[in-house]
Amino acid sequence: MALTTKAAAGLAGLLALGAALAGCGGSSGSDGGTTITVWHGYTDVEAKAMTAQVKQWNADHPDEKVKLVYNSGNDNALQKTVAGFTAGNYPDVAYEFGSSAAALARQPKLIDLTDTVKKPAFNWDDFYPSEQQAAEVNGKVLGVPALVDNLSLVYNKALFKAAGVPLPTASWSWDDFRNAAKKLTDPAKKTYGWAYVNDGSEDTVWRYLPLLWQAGGELLNSDNTKPEFDSAAGKEALDLLKGMAVTDKSVYLDNGNGNYLNLFNSGKIAMLWTGPWDLSSINADVDYGITLLPGHDGNHETISGPDLYMAFDHSKGRSETAVKFMTWLTSAPVHLQFAIATGDLPLRKSESQLPEYSTFLEKYPANKVFVDNLNNVKHVRPNIASYSEVSTAVGQMVQSVLLGQAEPQEALDTASDQVASVLAGQ
Amino acid sequence: MTAALFPATAGRRTKPSSKKSADQRAAWGMVAPSVLLIGLFGLVPVAWSVVLSFQHSDLQTPATWAGTSNYRELMHDPVFRESIRHTVVYTVLFVPITLVCSLLVAAALNRRLRGISLYRLAVFVPVVTSTVATGVIFSWLLDPDYGIVNALLDKVGLPQSGFFSSPDSALYTMVAMTTWGWVGFGALIFLAGLQSIPQDLVEAAQIDGCTRTRAFWLIQVPLMRPIIGFMLVWLTINALQLFDEVYVTTKGGPLHATTVVVYYLYQQAFVYFHAGYAAAIACLLFVAILVITVIQIRVSRDRDLDPSG
Repeated sequence: MALTTKAAAGLAGLLALGAALAGCGGSSGSDGGTTITVWHGYTDVEAKAMTAQVKQWNADHPDEKVKLVYNSGNDNALQKTVAGFTAGNYPDVAYEFGSSAAALARQPKLIDLTDTVKKPAFNWDDFYPSEQQAAEVNGKVLGVPALVDNLSLVYNKALFKAAGVPLPTASWSWDDFRNAAKKLTDPAKKTYGWAYVNDGSEDTVWRYLPLLWQAGGELLNSDNTKPEFDSAAGKEALDLLKGMAVTDKSVYLDNGNGNYLNLFNSGKIAMLWTGPWDLSSINADVDYGITLLPGHDGNHETISGPDLYMAFDHSKGRSETAVKFMTWLTSAPVHLQFAIATGDLPLRKSESQLPEYSTFLEKYPANKVFVDNLNNVKHVRPNIASYSEVSTAVGQMVQSVLLGQAEPQEALDTASDQVASVLAGQ
Repeated sequence: MTAALFPATAGRRTKPSSKKSADQRAAWGMVAPSVLLIGLFGLVPVAWSVVLSFQHSDLQTPATWAGTSNYRELMHDPVFRESIRHTVVYTVLFVPITLVCSLLVAAALNRRLRGISLYRLAVFVPVVTSTVATGVIFSWLLDPDYGIVNALLDKVGLPQSGFFSSPDSALYTMVAMTTWGWVGFGALIFLAGLQSIPQDLVEAAQIDGCTRTRAFWLIQVPLMRPIIGFMLVWLTINALQLFDEVYVTTKGGPLHATTVVVYYLYQQAFVYFHAGYAAAIACLLFVAILVITVIQIRVSRDRDLDPSG
């Protein structure tokens, strides 16, 4: 119960945030060498692995030291970076969500990495196409991929067995998926076939997008100036959601507090559409399987949310160190070490060619599907500064259908109008 | 800020002393550090927000002048209008409910019982519990499918609720949750007020045949009017500035059902990076709070001075 004057704090907080981070920021070297600051949001094993890698870098580069600063969570990384600029204390390298790239593209201090990645030695094409596209805004490469994931279908084998439903396969259709979810739902025992994060955030949106794309739809037109999801495909995707959530009532609607994972662990939910980040939180006693998302006419494409390391200019020396460090950190052998330590997916295709890759697969057998599924990422979300507003409109649309508050066509029309006015107002 | 307003009204009736100027100098010396800090971290950002509200700013590139266009746009923003409605509904419910509950709890705690400090502690715990923890616990308790509250409602044959998950009930659930969090604070203040009222007043009334309940409503409550006035202003300001609880539980949803003014401001400033637009919202909110507070203080001061009131 904060007793602060929140209205002023809303904007004053910006300064405070910057000041708070200023306390722990690093700066250029006083002993002749350079020190750069890297803001990240890693926790647990990832933080440990990152710290170890930075230690290794610092040992090998005594004149180009890296100082790690925890940004207290990636969900607000963008806000903190922007606050850092306002307060005049910003990182040399920051971990950012891919969706933040367009907002940061306006930042005058942002270092354009186009020339860096186009050098043959960098081997830019070794990154998956979805990662490359997430890093590109208006034809410029503004970041280096830091993490890649995708949505796949994770299911509890015991619940399928108990309900007498055959296990999901990589060739499941939407109907197969819907029918199975219905059979796996039992109101008496309060079990659900599927769970959907229904908080209206990007979490809600990015489970809808693969459905839209599989059915042949697009979110926006090719130059991102007009909405295009108000289409037959857009409606088909919403119809499926409505059929499952409203008609069949086979979907647990998570209100954003993340209960779905606990409920999956306690055998209340049979299937999730989720990414590799959730696997470490699934209890050891849950016998689960992973496969591709169900498909539409054989199209099983999924969505990926690649995150980026972005670099910001302080001085020529520090910028060079920053770029050098990012290049090293995301090189195949170095990142594979990180992947083996954390279970994060390989960033570069060539990581799977390295001998140590077998260690990764042995340690994280379940991740094989996620790695393979990277090839099923065919679309990326539009990299535009107003994406967060587009996302809000689409999130409200999906939410209104899932809650049974609007018919799919009506919801599409409303959201399409909103997105059109957002895009027109740019 | 409001805490200072009430002593000022009380102090109005005291006569200026001859030591006044020396005292004043000493007083200013003592408050100078706070004045400086508040000025720097409070007033400067506030002034800056006013300037910002007449600009277009994404907080990254240089701002451009917008004239009054942010304000004009706000007038036609349906989500802003909705957020005002939600804020008003929230405030109109939250303030009186919290006020009355706090009074009743304070009355219940104002007695000599074995282990009374334990009860007082229990009532005060929600105040010192972090909002994040409160939010997480409530969203578990109130989960429509698996929460214990719906399970209990079901047991006793009452209809279940969607709580935070349904647009129809989310705002009311917010009122309930925040009331729970604030009653401890209100009760603490009222308890202090009750204990400052001479016991012989109540005893005298009881000798005259007045019941405890009547004595409470007719003697103790009227004597606490300045404290009630303070709580009224304090709760109203906080209700109009509701943010934390929304941020940690519903994020303004579902379907904007709990999008209150400050949450919308946050969204505009730090999600969409429309800082000028957000500053315009902040300025309007500031004016609204100022006007409401002044009215509240005027009304309670007039009542204090009115011998028949």
